[in-house]
Amino acid sequence: MLKIHDVCKTFKGTKILDHISIEIEKSSIFGLAGPSGSGKSTLLRCIQRLETPDCGLLECNGKTGFMFQDFQLFPHMTVLENLLYATKFLASKDVYGEKSANYLCMARGMLKDLGIEEKEQSYPNSLSGGQKQRVALARSLMINPDILLCDEPTSGLDIATIQDVVQLLRSISETGVTMVIASHDLDFLTKISDRIVLLKKGKIAVDVHVQQQKDPINYLKRYYT
Amino acid sequence: MVGKIIMEKLFTNFTYIGQGIGFMLQLLAGGFAIGTTMGLLLSILRHGKVLAFLVDRFVSIIRGTPLILQLSFIYFSIPSICGVRLGTLAAGIVAFGVNSSAYVSEILRSGIESLPKGQFEAAQTLRIPKYYMWKDIILPQVITNVLPALINEIIALLKETAIIAVIGGMDVMRRSQIVAAEQFEYFAPLCIAGVYYYVLVLLIEFVGRKIEKRRSYAKNS
Ligand SMILES: Nc1ncnc2c1ncn2[C@@H]1O[C@H](COP(=O)(O)OP(=O)(O)OP(=O)(O)O)[C@@H](O)[C@H]1O
Ligand SMILES: [Mg+2]
Repeated sequence: MLKIHDVCKTFKGTKILDHISIEIEKSSIFGLAGPSGSGKSTLLRCIQRLETPDCGLLECNGKTGFMFQDFQLFPHMTVLENLLYATKFLASKDVYGEKSANYLCMARGMLKDLGIEEKEQSYPNSLSGGQKQRVALARSLMINPDILLCDEPTSGLDIATIQDVVQLLRSISETGVTMVIASHDLDFLTKISDRIVLLKKGKIAVDVHVQQQKDPINYLKRYYT
Repeated sequence: MVGKIIMEKLFTNFTYIGQGIGFMLQLLAGGFAIGTTMGLLLSILRHGKVLAFLVDRFVSIIRGTPLILQLSFIYFSIPSICGVRLGTLAAGIVAFGVNSSAYVSEILRSGIESLPKGQFEAAQTLRIPKYYMWKDIILPQVITNVLPALINEIIALLKETAIIAVIGGMDVMRRSQIVAAEQFEYFAPLCIAGVYYYVLVLLIEFVGRKIEKRRSYAKNS
């Protein structure tokens, strides 16, 4: 589904990604861990082609959705408009009219699942950090991506809300969507991922299949020091 | 008796000078319409790579030469180059429009550059077509942010229309000078012209503030 082959990226002489190769299977949930500054966001941005790798190949079979670490909601649009705007341009087999009704249902459903349905008419500036984060996640899903790239989807959330996010992502993954999730939150990552790669100093420090580890969190924690 | 004569004279002068307002507003509206449309195009072209250099040169030349020269050039020397003679109003609108477009494009460019890069990236990741990205995502935010500067530009343009006198346009300023020359008295006609200008500027400021308020409301509520 997604092949990262020998990808390098240098910023101002510093190697951020140093010959990274990963293959990610369809419908799997793939976690990216690693200390701050280890290049998680950079790798996601390379996959999305927001950055051009200096070398290597990226093979991506399908449409990607992207959730930004700093959300990048459109401040002049309401939450609902943020979610719906891009759906105007999606090709659709549906009849006109019905199409927009379906997307409206989908947007409202997602806001409900994430516990922010009462915010649909609010503007982003009036939302809390965690609320913005959930809107950003929902927005990235609105274009029906085959591969979802999430940069820190839970950093501002409480335990109960993280559970909502886990449930939503799981249900979407069950429809066949492949996910790559970068996060600091090992608890969340091990809960949701099939496999976790830990980046450190631009290299893959460890590659864990979560089911096969007895105590994946503590196993991963060792690589942070 | 004397008072009545003075009042009558003042009134005639007021109406005579005031007849230049229509002409001045036509210049302003035409100039600003061309200025914003062209300025918008220039600022977007400048954001790209292909034509950025040419646009840069153009803006630099327009800002680096006096408006009075540009106006004279369009009115007096274009006819001798290509044989088309523009009327006073048309030449004025073209000159003010082209001149204003350079300033508007600078204003918009700084607005576009100060928008977070992520807004462009977000539009890109959501697969929003370029045209719609500019129209619905980037420019609405940029225009809200640069509105005060754009209003300044309209006010500056309004005052600069006085230069139309160089090619014989009968605007408020020119009319006040004619009155002054005929009556050997400068004080009253110039004050009258000044009042007209100032009232129009106040009006533009008032409308501008209304628009600013409305747009920032949508952003922060
Ligand atoms: N556009 C850029 N220009 C220069 N340096 C950059 C740029 N983008 C990222 N970097 C550098 O690359 C390194 C990796 O950044 P990246 O954002 O990928 O880390 P991260 O693992 O996502 O960190 P965090 O967990 O804090 O989000 C950092 O040292 C950062 O300073
Ligand atoms: Mg990051």
